[in-house]
Amino acid sequence: MKDEFAPKIVGFLCNWCTYAAADLAGTSKLKMPPSLAVIRVMCSSRVDPVLVLRAFLRGADGVLVAGCHPGDCHYEKGNYYARRRFALLKSVIETLGLDSERLQLSWIGASEGPRFQQVVTEFTDKIKKLGQNPMQKKTSL
Amino acid sequence: MKGAILKVTENVANPIINFLEKGLDKKCFDAVLIPVKVPVGNSFAWVLIQNKSLLEDANPLPPVMPVQGAKALSSITRMGKTNKKIAAIMRPCEVRAAVELSKLEQVNLENIFLISIDCPGVLPLKDYLERPEEAMDKFNEILLGACPERSRRAQNDIEWGNESTRPACQVCDKFVGTDLGFCQSDLHIGILGTKDKNIFLIPNNEKGKSILNKMDIEAEKSMDNWEKKAKELMEVRKKKKKEVQERLKFKVMGIDNLLDVFSNCINCHNCRSACPICYCRQCYFESEKMKLPSDDYLMRAKSKGALRFLPDTLLFHLGRMTHMSLSCVGCGACEDACPMSIDVAQIFSFVADNSQGLFNYIPGKNAEEPLSLRIYKEDEFHEVET
Ligand code: SF4
Ligand code: SF4
Ligand code: SF4
Ligand code: FES
Repeated sequence: MKDEFAPKIVGFLCNWCTYAAADLAGTSKLKMPPSLAVIRVMCSSRVDPVLVLRAFLRGADGVLVAGCHPGDCHYEKGNYYARRRFALLKSVIETLGLDSERLQLSWIGASEGPRFQQVVTEFTDKIKKLGQNPMQKKTSL
Repeated sequence: MKGAILKVTENVANPIINFLEKGLDKKCFDAVLIPVKVPVGNSFAWVLIQNKSLLEDANPLPPVMPVQGAKALSSITRMGKTNKKIAAIMRPCEVRAAVELSKLEQVNLENIFLISIDCPGVLPLKDYLERPEEAMDKFNEILLGACPERSRRAQNDIEWGNESTRPACQVCDKFVGTDLGFCQSDLHIGILGTKDKNIFLIPNNEKGKSILNKMDIEAEKSMDNWEKKAKELMEVRKKKKKEVQERLKFKVMGIDNLLDVFSNCINCHNCRSACPICYCRQCYFESEKMKLPSDDYLMRAKSKGALRFLPDTLLFHLGRMTHMSLSCVGCGACEDACPMSIDVAQIFSFVADNSQGLFNYIPGKNAEEPLSLRIYKEDEFHEVET
Protein backbone atom coordinates (compact mmCIF):
# COMPACT_ATOMS: atom_id res chain seq x y z
CA MET A 1 0.00 0.00 0.00
CA LYS A 2 1.23 3.48 -0.83
CA ASP A 3 2.06 5.71 2.12
CA GLU A 4 -0.74 8.06 2.88
CA PHE A 5 0.09 11.73 2.35
CA ALA A 6 0.93 13.23 5.75
CA PRO A 7 0.63 17.03 5.51
CA LYS A 8 3.19 19.26 7.13
CA ILE A 9 1.62 22.32 8.67
CA VAL A 10 3.46 25.20 10.28
CA GLY A 11 1.53 26.73 13.16
CA PHE A 12 2.29 30.16 14.55
CA LEU A 13 0.57 30.01 17.92
CA CYS A 14 0.23 32.91 20.30
CA ASN A 15 1.79 32.22 23.65
CA TRP A 16 -1.12 33.33 25.80
CA CYS A 17 -4.07 31.54 24.24
CA THR A 18 -3.53 29.06 21.47
CA TYR A 19 -0.23 27.74 22.72
CA ALA A 20 -1.84 27.16 26.09
CA ALA A 21 -4.74 25.43 24.34
CA ALA A 22 -2.28 23.20 22.48
CA ASP A 23 -0.66 22.36 25.77
CA LEU A 24 -4.02 21.57 27.28
CA ALA A 25 -4.99 19.39 24.35
CA GLY A 26 -1.72 17.53 24.85
CA THR A 27 -2.05 17.01 28.58
CA SER A 28 -5.68 15.98 28.09
CA LYS A 29 -4.44 13.39 25.60
CA LEU A 30 -6.82 14.55 22.89
CA LYS A 31 -6.17 12.63 19.69
CA MET A 32 -5.17 14.57 16.59
CA PRO A 33 -2.96 14.18 13.54
CA PRO A 34 0.74 14.84 14.15
CA SER A 35 0.84 17.38 11.34
CA LEU A 36 1.56 20.60 13.17
CA ALA A 37 5.05 22.05 13.67
CA VAL A 38 4.50 24.67 16.32
CA ILE A 39 6.24 28.03 16.46
CA ARG A 40 5.40 29.94 19.59
CA VAL A 41 5.00 33.70 19.17
CA MET A 42 4.16 36.24 21.82
CA CYS A 43 1.06 37.43 19.98
CA SER A 44 -0.66 36.74 16.67
CA SER A 45 0.27 40.30 15.70
CA ARG A 46 3.93 39.28 15.83
CA VAL A 47 3.42 37.21 12.69
CA ASP A 48 4.68 39.33 9.84
CA PRO A 49 3.11 38.05 6.60
CA VAL A 50 6.64 37.41 5.39
CA LEU A 51 6.99 34.64 7.95
CA VAL A 52 3.86 32.96 6.63
CA LEU A 53 5.07 33.40 3.07
CA ARG A 54 8.42 31.97 3.94
CA ALA A 55 6.87 28.80 5.30
CA PHE A 56 4.46 28.61 2.37
CA LEU A 57 7.08 29.14 -0.35
CA ARG A 58 9.43 26.69 1.30
CA GLY A 59 6.80 24.07 0.88
CA ALA A 60 4.73 23.88 4.06
CA ASP A 61 1.52 22.18 3.00
CA GLY A 62 -0.41 24.53 5.25
CA VAL A 63 0.25 27.48 7.53
CA LEU A 64 -1.88 28.18 10.57
CA VAL A 65 -1.84 31.48 12.43
CA ALA A 66 -3.76 31.23 15.66
CA GLY A 67 -4.28 33.49 18.63
CA CYS A 68 -6.69 34.65 21.28
CA HIS A 69 -10.31 35.40 20.42
CA PRO A 70 -10.95 39.01 19.41
CA GLY A 71 -11.25 41.04 22.58
CA ASP A 72 -9.10 38.58 24.55
CA CYS A 73 -5.65 39.44 23.21
CA HIS A 74 -3.10 39.75 26.00
CA TYR A 75 -2.00 43.00 24.41
CA GLU A 76 -5.61 44.09 23.90
CA LYS A 77 -5.76 44.62 20.16
CA GLY A 78 -2.95 42.59 18.64
CA ASN A 79 -5.24 40.07 17.02
CA TYR A 80 -7.35 42.77 15.34
CA TYR A 81 -4.19 43.98 13.61
CA ALA A 82 -3.22 40.38 12.87
CA ARG A 83 -6.55 39.85 11.13
CA ARG A 84 -6.02 42.86 8.85
CA ARG A 85 -2.54 41.69 7.94
CA PHE A 86 -3.78 38.21 7.27
CA ALA A 87 -6.55 39.56 5.04
CA LEU A 88 -3.94 41.55 3.12
CA LEU A 89 -1.69 38.52 2.77
CA LYS A 90 -4.59 36.43 1.47
CA SER A 91 -5.45 39.10 -1.04
CA VAL A 92 -1.88 39.22 -2.37
CA ILE A 93 -1.78 35.44 -2.64
CA GLU A 94 -5.15 35.26 -4.37
CA THR A 95 -4.39 38.09 -6.76
CA LEU A 96 -1.37 36.16 -7.95
CA GLY A 97 -3.38 32.99 -8.36
CA LEU A 98 -1.64 31.06 -5.59
CA ASP A 99 -3.38 28.70 -3.26
CA SER A 100 -4.65 30.80 -0.35
CA GLU A 101 -6.62 27.81 0.92
CA ARG A 102 -3.40 26.60 2.46
CA LEU A 103 -3.32 29.55 4.85
CA GLN A 104 -5.62 29.69 7.85
CA LEU A 105 -6.33 32.09 10.69
CA SER A 106 -8.14 30.80 13.76
CA TRP A 107 -8.92 32.03 17.24
CA ILE A 108 -8.47 29.47 19.98
CA GLY A 109 -8.71 30.48 23.66
CA ALA A 110 -6.44 29.13 26.40
CA SER A 111 -9.10 26.81 27.80
CA GLU A 112 -10.25 25.47 24.43
CA GLY A 113 -8.28 22.24 24.19
CA PRO A 114 -11.06 20.50 22.22
CA ARG A 115 -11.33 23.43 19.82
CA PHE A 116 -7.61 23.19 19.21
CA GLN A 117 -8.00 19.51 18.46
CA GLN A 118 -10.86 20.27 16.08
CA VAL A 119 -9.07 23.06 14.22
CA VAL A 120 -5.94 20.99 13.70
CA THR A 121 -7.90 17.94 12.59
CA GLU A 122 -10.10 19.83 10.17
CA PHE A 123 -7.27 21.88 8.69
CA THR A 124 -5.22 18.72 8.24
CA ASP A 125 -8.13 17.01 6.46
CA LYS A 126 -8.56 20.00 4.20
CA ILE A 127 -4.86 19.99 3.32
CA LYS A 128 -5.00 16.26 2.66
CA LYS A 129 -7.60 16.93 0.02
CA LEU A 130 -5.48 19.70 -1.51
CA GLY A 131 -2.48 17.40 -1.59
CA GLN A 132 1.18 18.29 -1.39
CA ASN A 133 2.21 21.93 -1.74
CA PRO A 134 3.60 22.21 -5.30
CA MET A 135 6.24 24.69 -4.04
CA GLN A 136 8.11 21.72 -2.58
CA LYS A 137 9.29 20.64 -5.99
CA LYS A 138 10.10 24.04 -7.49
CA THR A 139 13.82 24.35 -7.83
CA SER A 140 13.67 28.15 -7.99
CA LEU A 141 12.22 28.54 -4.53
CA MET B 1 -13.25 74.42 -9.24
CA LYS B 2 -11.61 77.84 -9.25
CA GLY B 3 -8.09 78.93 -10.02
CA ALA B 4 -5.82 81.46 -11.65
CA ILE B 5 -4.66 81.67 -15.24
CA LEU B 6 -1.08 82.57 -16.13
CA LYS B 7 0.08 83.40 -19.64
CA VAL B 8 2.58 81.19 -21.41
CA THR B 9 5.36 83.15 -23.05
CA GLU B 10 7.94 80.79 -24.56
CA ASN B 11 7.00 77.42 -23.12
CA VAL B 12 4.99 76.04 -20.23
CA ALA B 13 8.01 76.10 -17.93
CA ASN B 14 8.36 79.86 -18.15
CA PRO B 15 5.34 81.06 -16.19
CA ILE B 16 6.04 78.37 -13.60
CA ILE B 17 9.60 79.53 -13.08
CA ASN B 18 8.43 83.15 -12.90
CA PHE B 19 5.87 82.15 -10.34
CA LEU B 20 8.53 80.42 -8.22
CA GLU B 21 10.86 83.41 -8.48
CA LYS B 22 8.10 85.66 -7.30
CA GLY B 23 7.36 83.27 -4.45
CA LEU B 24 10.97 83.47 -3.32
CA ASP B 25 10.90 87.27 -3.62
CA LYS B 26 7.78 87.58 -1.55
CA LYS B 27 9.13 85.11 0.98
CA CYS B 28 6.24 82.71 0.47
CA PHE B 29 8.95 80.08 0.64
CA ASP B 30 12.72 80.19 1.19
CA ALA B 31 13.84 77.46 -1.15
CA VAL B 32 12.58 75.44 -4.07
CA LEU B 33 13.05 71.71 -4.65
CA ILE B 34 12.80 71.13 -8.37
CA PRO B 35 14.33 69.00 -11.15
CA VAL B 36 17.21 70.69 -12.94
CA LYS B 37 19.10 69.62 -16.00
CA VAL B 38 22.66 69.27 -14.81
CA PRO B 39 25.12 71.38 -16.81
CA VAL B 40 27.32 68.52 -17.99
CA GLY B 41 25.79 65.51 -19.63
CA ASN B 42 22.12 65.05 -20.14
CA SER B 43 20.82 64.02 -16.78
CA PHE B 44 18.22 65.57 -14.55
CA ALA B 45 18.58 65.84 -10.82
CA TRP B 46 16.60 67.17 -7.89
CA VAL B 47 18.12 70.43 -6.74
CA LEU B 48 17.30 72.46 -3.66
CA ILE B 49 17.57 76.03 -4.84
CA GLN B 50 17.87 79.04 -2.57
CA ASN B 51 19.46 81.43 -5.04
CA LYS B 52 16.75 82.71 -7.32
CA SER B 53 18.98 83.11 -10.36
CA LEU B 54 19.59 79.37 -10.46
CA LEU B 55 15.93 78.69 -11.11
CA GLU B 56 16.57 79.50 -14.76
CA ASP B 57 17.88 75.99 -15.45
CA ALA B 58 15.05 74.28 -13.63
CA ASN B 59 12.65 72.07 -15.52
CA PRO B 60 9.40 71.40 -13.70
CA LEU B 61 8.57 68.59 -16.14
CA PRO B 62 11.68 66.62 -16.99
CA PRO B 63 11.28 63.81 -19.53
CA VAL B 64 12.50 61.15 -17.08
CA MET B 65 12.28 60.28 -13.40
CA PRO B 66 15.73 59.11 -12.30
CA VAL B 67 14.93 59.66 -8.61
CA GLN B 68 11.37 59.62 -7.37
CA GLY B 69 10.67 63.08 -5.90
CA ALA B 70 9.33 61.73 -2.62
CA LYS B 71 12.73 60.15 -2.03
CA ALA B 72 14.41 63.51 -2.47
CA LEU B 73 11.95 65.14 -0.10
CA SER B 74 12.41 62.33 2.37
CA SER B 75 16.16 62.78 2.50
CA ILE B 76 15.63 66.43 3.36
CA THR B 77 12.92 66.01 5.97
CA ARG B 78 13.28 62.57 7.44
CA MET B 79 14.87 63.94 10.62
CA GLY B 80 11.97 66.30 11.24
CA LYS B 81 10.47 69.50 9.99
CA THR B 82 12.60 71.97 8.10
CA ASN B 83 13.34 75.36 9.62
CA LYS B 84 12.74 77.11 6.33
CA LYS B 85 9.83 76.84 3.99
CA ILE B 86 10.42 74.74 0.89
CA ALA B 87 8.29 74.64 -2.23
CA ALA B 88 8.55 71.20 -3.87
CA ILE B 89 7.45 70.89 -7.49
CA MET B 90 6.62 67.29 -8.21
CA ARG B 91 4.58 65.00 -10.38
CA PRO B 92 1.34 63.73 -8.85
CA CYS B 93 2.69 60.25 -8.09
CA GLU B 94 5.62 61.88 -6.31
CA VAL B 95 3.30 64.02 -4.23
CA ARG B 96 1.21 60.99 -3.34
CA ALA B 97 4.31 59.05 -2.31
CA ALA B 98 5.41 62.01 -0.17
CA VAL B 99 2.03 62.02 1.59
CA GLU B 100 2.36 58.27 2.25
CA LEU B 101 5.86 58.78 3.63
CA SER B 102 4.57 61.51 5.92
CA LYS B 103 2.30 58.89 7.48
CA LEU B 104 5.34 56.68 7.96
CA GLU B 105 7.23 59.54 9.55
CA GLN B 106 9.82 59.64 6.82
CA VAL B 107 8.70 62.92 5.35
CA ASN B 108 7.66 65.94 7.34
CA LEU B 109 5.28 68.16 5.42
CA GLU B 110 4.90 70.94 7.94
CA ASN B 111 7.04 73.52 6.20
CA ILE B 112 6.71 72.04 2.76
CA PHE B 113 4.59 73.62 0.09
CA LEU B 114 3.63 70.84 -2.28
CA ILE B 115 3.08 71.90 -5.86
CA SER B 116 1.90 69.24 -8.31
CA ILE B 117 1.76 69.53 -12.04
CA ASP B 118 -0.29 67.82 -14.74
CA CYS B 119 1.83 64.89 -15.83
CA PRO B 120 2.22 63.79 -19.45
CA GLY B 121 4.15 60.71 -18.26
CA VAL B 122 7.87 60.11 -18.44
CA LEU B 123 10.05 58.16 -20.85
CA PRO B 124 11.83 54.98 -19.79
CA LEU B 125 15.19 55.94 -18.39
CA LYS B 126 16.96 53.52 -20.73
CA ASP B 127 15.41 55.05 -23.84
CA TYR B 128 16.37 58.51 -22.74
CA LEU B 129 19.96 57.63 -21.87
CA GLU B 130 20.49 55.92 -25.21
CA ARG B 131 19.41 58.91 -27.29
CA PRO B 132 18.84 61.95 -25.11
CA GLU B 133 18.17 64.44 -27.88
CA GLU B 134 15.76 62.29 -29.80
CA ALA B 135 14.02 61.42 -26.57
CA MET B 136 13.72 65.07 -25.63
CA ASP B 137 12.02 65.82 -28.96
CA LYS B 138 9.69 62.93 -28.45
CA PHE B 139 8.84 64.12 -24.98
CA ASN B 140 8.12 67.65 -26.11
CA GLU B 141 5.80 66.31 -28.71
CA ILE B 142 3.94 64.33 -26.08
CA LEU B 143 3.76 67.40 -23.89
CA LEU B 144 2.31 69.49 -26.68
CA GLY B 145 -0.17 66.77 -27.49
CA ALA B 146 -2.24 68.23 -24.68
CA CYS B 147 -2.57 71.38 -26.73
CA PRO B 148 -3.92 70.24 -30.09
CA GLU B 149 -3.28 73.58 -31.77
CA ARG B 150 0.44 73.28 -31.61
CA SER B 151 0.81 69.56 -31.77
CA ARG B 152 2.66 68.62 -34.91
CA ARG B 153 0.17 65.88 -35.48
CA ALA B 154 -2.42 68.61 -35.31
CA GLN B 155 -5.05 66.22 -34.22
CA ASN B 156 -7.36 66.24 -31.32
CA ASP B 157 -6.08 63.05 -29.81
CA ILE B 158 -4.04 63.50 -26.72
CA GLU B 159 -0.51 62.17 -26.85
CA TRP B 160 -0.08 61.97 -23.09
CA GLY B 161 0.90 58.54 -21.88
CA ASN B 162 1.43 57.29 -25.43
CA GLU B 163 3.43 54.17 -26.13
CA SER B 164 6.77 55.99 -25.84
CA THR B 165 6.17 56.64 -22.15
CA ARG B 166 6.78 54.06 -19.46
CA PRO B 167 4.15 51.33 -19.08
CA ALA B 168 3.29 52.71 -15.63
CA CYS B 169 2.49 56.09 -17.16
CA GLN B 170 0.45 54.61 -20.00
CA VAL B 171 -2.10 53.30 -17.52
CA CYS B 172 -1.79 56.00 -14.87
CA ASP B 173 -5.21 57.42 -14.04
CA LYS B 174 -3.99 59.74 -11.29
CA PHE B 175 -1.88 62.15 -13.32
CA VAL B 176 -3.45 65.31 -11.93
CA GLY B 177 -2.86 66.80 -8.51
CA THR B 178 -6.35 67.71 -7.39
CA ASP B 179 -9.18 65.70 -5.85
CA LEU B 180 -9.76 64.35 -9.34
CA GLY B 181 -6.43 62.50 -9.14
CA PHE B 182 -6.78 61.72 -5.42
CA CYS B 183 -3.74 63.85 -4.84
CA GLN B 184 -3.24 66.22 -2.00
CA SER B 185 -0.85 68.90 -3.10
CA ASP B 186 -1.30 72.44 -1.81
CA LEU B 187 -1.33 73.90 -5.28
CA HIS B 188 -1.81 72.24 -8.62
CA ILE B 189 -0.52 73.47 -11.96
CA GLY B 190 -2.80 72.53 -14.83
CA ILE B 191 -1.60 72.44 -18.41
CA LEU B 192 -4.30 70.30 -19.97
CA GLY B 193 -6.94 72.10 -21.97
CA THR B 194 -5.14 75.42 -22.06
CA LYS B 195 -4.47 75.42 -25.78
CA ASP B 196 -0.83 76.04 -24.96
CA LYS B 197 -1.40 79.71 -24.24
CA ASN B 198 -1.97 79.56 -20.52
CA ILE B 199 -1.37 77.47 -17.47
CA PHE B 200 -3.79 77.07 -14.60
CA LEU B 201 -2.99 77.48 -10.92
CA ILE B 202 -5.45 75.56 -8.79
CA PRO B 203 -5.21 75.88 -5.01
CA ASN B 204 -6.27 72.67 -3.28
CA ASN B 205 -6.45 73.99 0.28
CA GLU B 206 -5.98 77.03 2.52
CA LYS B 207 -2.21 76.79 2.32
CA GLY B 208 -2.40 77.05 -1.44
CA LYS B 209 -4.89 79.89 -1.33
CA SER B 210 -2.89 81.92 1.16
CA ILE B 211 0.26 81.71 -0.95
CA LEU B 212 -1.59 82.88 -4.03
CA ASN B 213 -3.02 85.69 -1.92
CA LYS B 214 0.40 86.73 -0.72
CA MET B 215 1.52 86.91 -4.32
CA ASP B 216 -1.55 88.96 -5.31
CA ILE B 217 -2.75 86.25 -7.64
CA GLU B 218 -6.50 86.02 -7.78
CA ALA B 219 -7.83 82.51 -8.10
CA GLU B 220 -11.42 83.14 -9.12
CA LYS B 221 -11.38 81.94 -12.72
CA SER B 222 -13.34 78.89 -13.76
CA MET B 223 -11.25 75.78 -14.34
CA ASP B 224 -13.91 74.03 -16.38
CA ASN B 225 -11.77 73.64 -19.49
CA TRP B 226 -9.02 71.99 -17.53
CA GLU B 227 -11.39 69.79 -15.63
CA LYS B 228 -13.12 68.62 -18.78
CA LYS B 229 -9.88 67.59 -20.47
CA ALA B 230 -8.54 65.95 -17.35
CA LYS B 231 -11.70 63.90 -16.92
CA GLU B 232 -11.71 62.86 -20.57
CA LEU B 233 -8.15 61.63 -20.40
CA MET B 234 -8.79 59.93 -17.11
CA GLU B 235 -11.57 57.87 -18.62
CA VAL B 236 -9.29 56.78 -21.46
CA ARG B 237 -6.64 55.72 -18.97
CA LYS B 238 -9.00 53.83 -16.72
CA LYS B 239 -10.16 51.81 -19.67
CA LYS B 240 -6.62 51.17 -20.81
CA LYS B 241 -5.56 50.15 -17.32
CA LYS B 242 -8.35 47.58 -17.18
CA GLU B 243 -7.34 46.10 -20.51
CA VAL B 244 -3.67 45.98 -19.62
CA GLN B 245 -4.33 44.35 -16.25
CA GLU B 246 -6.62 41.82 -17.86
CA ARG B 247 -3.72 40.80 -20.11
CA LEU B 248 -1.20 40.93 -17.28
CA LYS B 249 -3.26 38.44 -15.28
CA PHE B 250 -2.57 35.72 -17.80
CA LYS B 251 1.09 36.45 -17.66
CA VAL B 252 1.57 36.41 -13.91
CA MET B 253 -1.10 34.34 -12.24
CA GLY B 254 -0.18 30.94 -10.90
CA ILE B 255 3.12 29.73 -9.54
CA ASP B 256 4.62 28.69 -12.85
CA ASN B 257 3.83 32.01 -14.50
CA LEU B 258 5.15 33.91 -11.53
CA LEU B 259 8.41 32.01 -11.51
CA ASP B 260 8.64 32.59 -15.22
CA VAL B 261 8.10 36.34 -14.98
CA PHE B 262 10.71 36.68 -12.26
CA SER B 263 13.10 34.13 -13.71
CA ASN B 264 15.45 36.83 -14.93
CA CYS B 265 15.55 38.56 -11.58
CA ILE B 266 19.12 38.83 -10.34
CA ASN B 267 18.12 39.72 -6.79
CA CYS B 268 19.83 43.09 -6.97
CA HIS B 269 17.04 44.78 -4.99
CA ASN B 270 17.27 47.87 -7.19
CA CYS B 271 13.48 47.91 -7.37
CA ARG B 272 13.32 48.17 -3.63
CA SER B 273 15.96 50.90 -3.40
CA ALA B 274 14.29 52.99 -6.07
CA CYS B 275 10.82 52.58 -4.61
CA PRO B 276 9.82 55.69 -2.69
CA ILE B 277 7.51 53.70 -0.46
CA CYS B 278 9.66 50.83 0.79
CA TYR B 279 10.02 52.35 4.21
CA CYS B 280 11.78 49.87 6.49
CA ARG B 281 15.03 51.27 7.79
CA GLN B 282 16.33 47.73 7.93
CA CYS B 283 14.96 45.60 5.14
CA TYR B 284 14.11 42.06 6.18
CA PHE B 285 15.48 40.75 2.91
CA GLU B 286 18.86 42.24 3.57
CA SER B 287 18.94 41.25 7.20
CA GLU B 288 20.68 38.39 8.98
CA LYS B 289 17.35 36.54 8.79
CA MET B 290 18.05 35.78 5.13
CA LYS B 291 21.55 34.45 5.74
CA LEU B 292 21.28 30.73 6.17
CA PRO B 293 23.77 27.97 6.91
CA SER B 294 24.82 25.78 4.00
CA ASP B 295 22.92 22.83 5.49
CA ASP B 296 19.70 24.67 4.87
CA TYR B 297 20.43 24.95 1.16
CA LEU B 298 21.68 21.40 0.92
CA MET B 299 18.52 20.17 2.56
CA ARG B 300 16.36 22.07 0.11
CA ALA B 301 18.46 20.88 -2.82
CA LYS B 302 18.06 17.34 -1.60
CA SER B 303 14.31 17.37 -1.33
CA LYS B 304 13.85 19.21 -4.64
CA GLY B 305 16.67 17.54 -6.50
CA ALA B 306 18.28 20.94 -7.18
CA LEU B 307 18.11 24.50 -5.91
CA ARG B 308 18.58 27.56 -8.05
CA PHE B 309 20.84 30.39 -6.84
CA LEU B 310 20.24 33.00 -5.70
CA PRO B 311 17.12 31.48 -4.14
CA ASP B 312 14.18 33.14 -2.41
CA THR B 313 13.61 35.66 -5.19
CA LEU B 314 9.88 35.18 -5.06
CA LEU B 315 9.88 35.52 -1.29
CA PHE B 316 11.50 38.91 -1.74
CA HIS B 317 8.88 40.12 -4.21
CA LEU B 318 5.83 38.69 -2.48
CA GLY B 319 7.13 39.80 0.89
CA ARG B 320 7.67 43.30 -0.36
CA MET B 321 4.13 43.31 -1.71
CA THR B 322 2.69 42.40 1.67
CA HIS B 323 4.75 45.16 3.23
CA MET B 324 4.14 48.04 0.92
CA SER B 325 1.43 47.34 -1.63
CA LEU B 326 -1.13 49.30 0.40
CA SER B 327 0.93 52.42 -0.19
CA CYS B 328 2.22 51.70 -3.71
CA VAL B 329 1.49 54.76 -5.84
CA GLY B 330 2.16 53.03 -9.16
CA CYS B 331 4.93 55.46 -10.01
CA GLY B 332 6.98 53.00 -12.07
CA ALA B 333 10.28 53.86 -10.39
CA CYS B 334 10.98 50.21 -9.60
CA GLU B 335 10.62 49.18 -13.23
CA ASP B 336 12.85 51.99 -14.42
CA ALA B 337 15.52 50.79 -12.00
CA CYS B 338 15.36 47.13 -12.95
CA PRO B 339 18.42 46.11 -14.97
CA MET B 340 16.65 42.97 -16.20
CA SER B 341 13.60 44.66 -17.71
CA ILE B 342 11.16 42.84 -15.48
CA ASP B 343 7.65 44.33 -15.40
CA VAL B 344 7.96 44.99 -11.68
CA ALA B 345 5.84 48.13 -11.52
CA GLN B 346 3.05 46.62 -13.55
CA ILE B 347 2.93 43.56 -11.35
CA PHE B 348 3.18 45.55 -8.14
CA SER B 349 0.49 47.99 -9.23
CA PHE B 350 -1.80 45.16 -10.17
CA VAL B 351 -1.40 43.58 -6.75
CA ALA B 352 -1.56 46.98 -5.09
CA ASP B 353 -4.91 47.80 -6.68
CA ASN B 354 -6.39 44.70 -5.08
CA SER B 355 -4.73 45.27 -1.70
CA GLN B 356 -5.92 48.87 -1.65
CA GLY B 357 -9.40 47.89 -2.76
CA LEU B 358 -9.66 45.51 0.17
CA PHE B 359 -9.34 48.39 2.62
CA ASN B 360 -10.89 51.00 0.39
CA TYR B 361 -7.66 52.91 0.70
CA ILE B 362 -6.13 55.26 -1.82
CA PRO B 363 -2.51 56.06 -1.02
CA GLY B 364 -1.60 59.72 -0.98
CA LYS B 365 -5.18 60.87 -1.05
CA ASN B 366 -5.31 62.29 2.42
CA ALA B 367 -2.48 62.85 4.89
CA GLU B 368 -4.91 62.64 7.80
CA GLU B 369 -6.27 59.24 6.84
CA PRO B 370 -4.43 56.56 8.87
CA LEU B 371 -2.62 53.67 7.20
CA SER B 372 -4.92 50.67 6.95
CA LEU B 373 -2.71 48.37 9.01
CA ARG B 374 -2.61 50.81 11.89
CA ILE B 375 -6.33 50.78 12.50
CA TYR B 376 -9.01 48.11 12.74
CA LYS B 377 -12.68 47.56 13.38
CA GLU B 378 -13.84 44.98 15.84
CA ASP B 379 -16.38 43.62 13.43
CA GLU B 380 -14.72 42.99 10.06
CA PHE B 381 -12.93 40.46 7.86
CA HIS B 382 -14.71 37.51 9.40
CA GLU B 383 -14.37 35.82 6.04
CA VAL B 384 -10.66 35.21 6.71
CA GLU B 385 -11.30 33.55 10.08
CA THR B 386 -11.83 29.81 10.33
S1 SF4 C 1 2.94 57.21 -12.86
FE1 SF4 C 1 3.74 58.27 -14.68
S2 SF4 C 1 2.01 59.43 -15.46
FE2 SF4 C 1 1.45 58.84 -13.39
S3 SF4 C 1 2.02 60.64 -12.20
FE3 SF4 C 1 3.75 59.16 -12.15
S4 SF4 C 1 5.11 59.78 -13.80
FE4 SF4 C 1 3.13 60.78 -14.13
S1 SF4 D 1 6.46 49.39 -5.95
FE1 SF4 D 1 7.17 50.42 -7.84
S2 SF4 D 1 5.33 51.44 -8.62
FE2 SF4 D 1 4.90 50.94 -6.45
S3 SF4 D 1 5.51 52.80 -5.29
FE3 SF4 D 1 7.30 51.41 -5.33
S4 SF4 D 1 8.50 52.10 -7.12
FE4 SF4 D 1 6.44 52.97 -7.35
S1 SF4 E 1 15.43 45.40 -9.84
FE1 SF4 E 1 14.76 43.74 -11.21
S2 SF4 E 1 16.45 42.25 -11.14
FE2 SF4 E 1 16.74 43.63 -9.39
S3 SF4 E 1 15.67 42.59 -7.67
FE3 SF4 E 1 14.18 44.00 -8.60
S4 SF4 E 1 13.08 42.72 -10.13
FE4 SF4 E 1 14.95 41.62 -9.58
S1 FES F 1 -1.69 37.67 22.82
FE1 FES F 1 -2.87 36.11 21.84
S2 FES F 1 -3.40 37.12 19.99
FE2 FES F 1 -2.37 38.74 21.03
